[in-house]
Amino acid sequence: MNPTINAARFIGQRVPRKEDHRLLTGRGTFVDDVVVAGMLHVAFLRSPIARGRILSFDTAAARAMPGVHAILTAADLSALKIDMLSFFLAPAEIAITPLADGRVAYVGEPVVMVIAVDRYVAEDATSLIEIDYDEEDPVVTIDDARTGAPVHPGMDSNVAAAMGEDEINEPLEALLRDAPHLISGTITHQRIAQSPMETRGVIVSPQGSEEIIVYITCASPHLIARNLSMAFNLPNTNFRVIAKDVGGSFGLKNQPWKEEMAVIAAGILLGRPLKWIEDRWENLTGANQAREQEMTLRIAFDNDGKLLASHADYHLNNGAYPHGADCNIAVVMFLWSAYKIPEFSFQTQGWFSNTAGLAAYRGPWAIETLAREVLLDEAARKIGIDPIEIRRRNLITRADQPMVASMGIPIDDISPMECLDKLLEVVDVAAFRIEQEAARKEGRYLGIGFATYIEPTGAAGSINVMTGELAHVQIEPTGKVTAIMSTHSQGHGTQTTMAQIFAEELGVPFEDVTVHEGDSSRGGFSPGAAGSRQGVIGGGASIKAAGLLRDKIKKVAAHLLNANPDDVTIEGGMVRVRGAEEMTRSLRQIAEIAYGEPDRLPPGMESGLEAQYRYNPPPMTFTSAAHACIVEIDAETGFVKIKRWVSSEDCGVMINPAIVEGQISGGLAQAIGTVLLEEFGYDDRGNPTTVTFKDYMLPAISDVPDFEFVHANTPSQAEGGFRGVGEGGCIIGPPTLVNAIADALSPFNARCLDLPLTPSKILQLMEGKDISRAAQRQVKSDAAAAAAAAKAVAEKEVHIGSHGEGLPPMAAAMLPGGADAAALEAESTESEVHADGSATEAAPPSSPAGDWDCVMSTPMGPQTMKLHFDIEGDAVTGYTSSPDGTAEFTGIALGNQIKFDLKVTKPMKITLKYDIAIEGDVLAGKVKMGLFGTAKLKGSRAE
Amino acid sequence: MKPAPFDYMRPDTIEEACAILAEAGGGATVIAGGQTLMPLLALRMSQPFILVDLSRITALRGVTRIAEATRIGPMTTQNDAIADATLQSRLPLLVQALRHVGHHQTRNRGTIGGSIAFGEPAAESPAAAVALGATLELRSVRGVRTVPADEFYLGPYATVIEPDELLTAIDVPDWPADSVPLFREVALRPGDFALVGLIGSIVLESGKIARASLAWFGMGATPIKARRAEDALIGQSPDSLQPALIAELAIAETDPFDDHHATADYRRTVGQRIFTRTLSEALGIRQAA
Repeated sequence: MNPTINAARFIGQRVPRKEDHRLLTGRGTFVDDVVVAGMLHVAFLRSPIARGRILSFDTAAARAMPGVHAILTAADLSALKIDMLSFFLAPAEIAITPLADGRVAYVGEPVVMVIAVDRYVAEDATSLIEIDYDEEDPVVTIDDARTGAPVHPGMDSNVAAAMGEDEINEPLEALLRDAPHLISGTITHQRIAQSPMETRGVIVSPQGSEEIIVYITCASPHLIARNLSMAFNLPNTNFRVIAKDVGGSFGLKNQPWKEEMAVIAAGILLGRPLKWIEDRWENLTGANQAREQEMTLRIAFDNDGKLLASHADYHLNNGAYPHGADCNIAVVMFLWSAYKIPEFSFQTQGWFSNTAGLAAYRGPWAIETLAREVLLDEAARKIGIDPIEIRRRNLITRADQPMVASMGIPIDDISPMECLDKLLEVVDVAAFRIEQEAARKEGRYLGIGFATYIEPTGAAGSINVMTGELAHVQIEPTGKVTAIMSTHSQGHGTQTTMAQIFAEELGVPFEDVTVHEGDSSRGGFSPGAAGSRQGVIGGGASIKAAGLLRDKIKKVAAHLLNANPDDVTIEGGMVRVRGAEEMTRSLRQIAEIAYGEPDRLPPGMESGLEAQYRYNPPPMTFTSAAHACIVEIDAETGFVKIKRWVSSEDCGVMINPAIVEGQISGGLAQAIGTVLLEEFGYDDRGNPTTVTFKDYMLPAISDVPDFEFVHANTPSQAEGGFRGVGEGGCIIGPPTLVNAIADALSPFNARCLDLPLTPSKILQLMEGKDISRAAQRQVKSDAAAAAAAAKAVAEKEVHIGSHGEGLPPMAAAMLPGGADAAALEAESTESEVHADGSATEAAPPSSPAGDWDCVMSTPMGPQTMKLHFDIEGDAVTGYTSSPDGTAEFTGIALGNQIKFDLKVTKPMKITLKYDIAIEGDVLAGKVKMGLFGTAKLKGSRAE
Repeated sequence: MKPAPFDYMRPDTIEEACAILAEAGGGATVIAGGQTLMPLLALRMSQPFILVDLSRITALRGVTRIAEATRIGPMTTQNDAIADATLQSRLPLLVQALRHVGHHQTRNRGTIGGSIAFGEPAAESPAAAVALGATLELRSVRGVRTVPADEFYLGPYATVIEPDELLTAIDVPDWPADSVPLFREVALRPGDFALVGLIGSIVLESGKIARASLAWFGMGATPIKARRAEDALIGQSPDSLQPALIAELAIAETDPFDDHHATADYRRTVGQRIFTRTLSEALGIRQAA
């Protein structure tokens, strides 16, 4: 740190949190604590079915209820044009309205909103509303989505997003096939309900035409304000978004979604302040969820257990209205980036279904660590080497860096192997193995599990909303320090950590520093709590801003005291001149002059003591870790007891070790819930089956052990040397625990691939049963086959005694069911004729030349762009035009097919290979995006 | 999650409460500690016209001795019961079971009678009442009747209580001071309802089992008395017992179900195991490995 500061160090200290007294004594200000004069309350009537058409509403009885002010449906809200935007502020890929418009697509979808004097009356009124539905068969699971009717009208499948190779990569297949060892497995991850302590909630308070105040629990007030401004696009209107305290988000509160948008829209339309607080039942049914996914991972090894090649096939349930249609490309980007692997390919697909939509959840790509680390352990067992040794042979060590890893990711600052080495200094594996062996003889099953991971944190500068962070800091005329940050705490203590940095860098007492955040009218833009970024980027911004201010104080003091600025020090809030103790002044004395007597400042200097800095860090700052966990499984009941858990992480310079450990512990608690307890369920009709915390099992304090920490930290290349630590525990935790359980169950050859590992499943594994989803599918299809066979037998038996058999066709048609079948057959023949007829009537193929409005499905959401083609013979020239700029290309045109290459630099340097087919006014094609696989392109002729 | 509108009454006496229930003709629900009913009201799964709060009726609270039995007022909170000297000395098995009901905070409000009358099949108190041979006193304006606990339960959350009746006493007969307690509960987290639960008491006389009472919870639609196992135990000496075989008899009477948390198979398998272990440990039988 800065050598001129000799004050007590604050960075790296376990300073008690500034916010704790307030939060622990009930004095926090969460959205439900906010009361606005004259506000009304909102309750939603939600869809009781997973899929169907809305036939009619009857709201008369509800409207007549005393205390009811308004009842609104999608038709009422359509008075405003509302764009539902993704986290990246991209428009949704599918039509999304705040309230269901004509169709419902999941149980819990808001259909009608009731606005009343209080929430009781509002809920009473919802029970008086009658809605007739025409119910349809829902698509619930990923399996359903593959074959079921498209959830969204107008789509030809349920594929929400797809990337990667959709054709078989023969050279890779040969590598996998011919390798000495091939390990493959399908990890299935259950659906997780985002369960922040503070559920969603919003108050909209229109202030007249110029300002709409929105109190909303969120990850970033600035991002919400930007989202609302773009979503509503109202002239002369400023959205001011306020969120003082937030009780957790995990990704759920990244962006306002159906309910919040409906409330804000209604507030604008009615001109009244409105409040909606999501209750726990609504949270467990209506809020977006996460993680329902599966990955089939194949890994080939040579005889020494070294990696040869791998292929990942990944599928993610997006629900009906995801926060952004997603095939989770980060899963494959970081799957092997800490490992030396020669060949890797993948396919990822996101699927729409009639379930609650997908949202990001702490470490959204975490299944890559889970699948890889669990299968590495299986490989070690199969090949006959130690699980630590298999990692040692394949991890990228410090000595290997810099290098370009799988997927072209530059790796120059990771340390998973070094974290593992430090971990092994405190975990005596040899002693454990002896204990394990002895225990097995007594019928006790102990297991140890290891995992390593890396995580890109503090990303900025390549994706539009992922900006730098802004720190504004001032010495008040009182001598106290006030900082206004673009960061936003979700409960994780940025008011403390940033204050520690200011105290350290300015040389002031920690108690004198106050950090403000949580109001879009103060400070600058940032996406807030997302991507483990605030410590890295906000911390760097704080250091830089403090440095600017410190330099100014020194200049002012040197001028006033007739000293050399290099001889000025600030310590404990006092400004001193080296060698001249009598010159010592308090910061307050300096500040009073800086603000009140500008004539005494150096010539030309701006008055006041204020500075701000927007810090942009390196594109990615990696955090690495290795964890170990020891469990004992009760062979009688299948219960898992966690006996020990050690975290060894490299999270760079720690600002506050207690907060670092709190972050890791919280993530690990979620990991334990994921592996042992949590599972959001739906029945076959898409009805949620776990709608209270009696059935949706979160880990309790009794399920979470005291964790041990080894801080294997090395400074990062970012300002201050910080690395992000917000998500890591939630990513590395699941494979660590699964591997410990699998090790304990190794005498049973158990494959622990299906989460959660409930006591029921663990006993089945101990009985040698295959509990994988694939096996269940087999059982299902066997059962279906058996049922079909039984039915066939039964029908045969019926036929023997049936009088229908042998009747002429006309008579058969008169039997119940027969006529309909005959009519249906006739109809289908007719429709074929129609289809043929319309095909011949289709517009003749026209030239591709001209302008096209296109949408490309990318990992950051759909990107809209214009394409322009000029055709000359087989040659095509043209340009693409998007908000990011215009780029020209030349390519070839073969009839209606157009191919061209385009080099881009954002978000990475890659060549995009366009392959487009044009039919009439419709354009469809693929864009090969180098290592990122293939994106779909759709478009229509511009009018 | 706001309850539907209801009228609220807080009678001071049992007679008053019974009068309200009689007049309400089935439209009233009594609230004791509210640890189950409050969430059900908030979810609108329960929508009574009248909520009858029993908290002012002092006659429904406390523990007293009656002839060869202990009378527990149904409004006695679980934590008061756990701390009660009479119950600790006379019915330690009940105290042990109550420690597994919910959490310390919920036990401060939750009552023994509320839990018994609600009839959650995976809860501890109903099974304890069945296993200990309790008699339940039901009052209405029509009169008083008593029902043995093992005839009280009809199905999940369904009991023989008529809409106008109030549970006014839980009489638990004395068990010899040296009777052997059996208790084991398997729950996903402490305080949760049981995946599998077993409670019982065995009396030995001259080295032979003279009396045995065993009940399952979480193993079917109601608490289930393991009568065949009880019969098989009577007259046996612990040395000659084969716990695994008794466990088979006990499990044969259960009818567990699949749910989100565990399969019926799991419940049967684990039930048999914990029965075997609990019986063996209670009677000091060394099991063959």
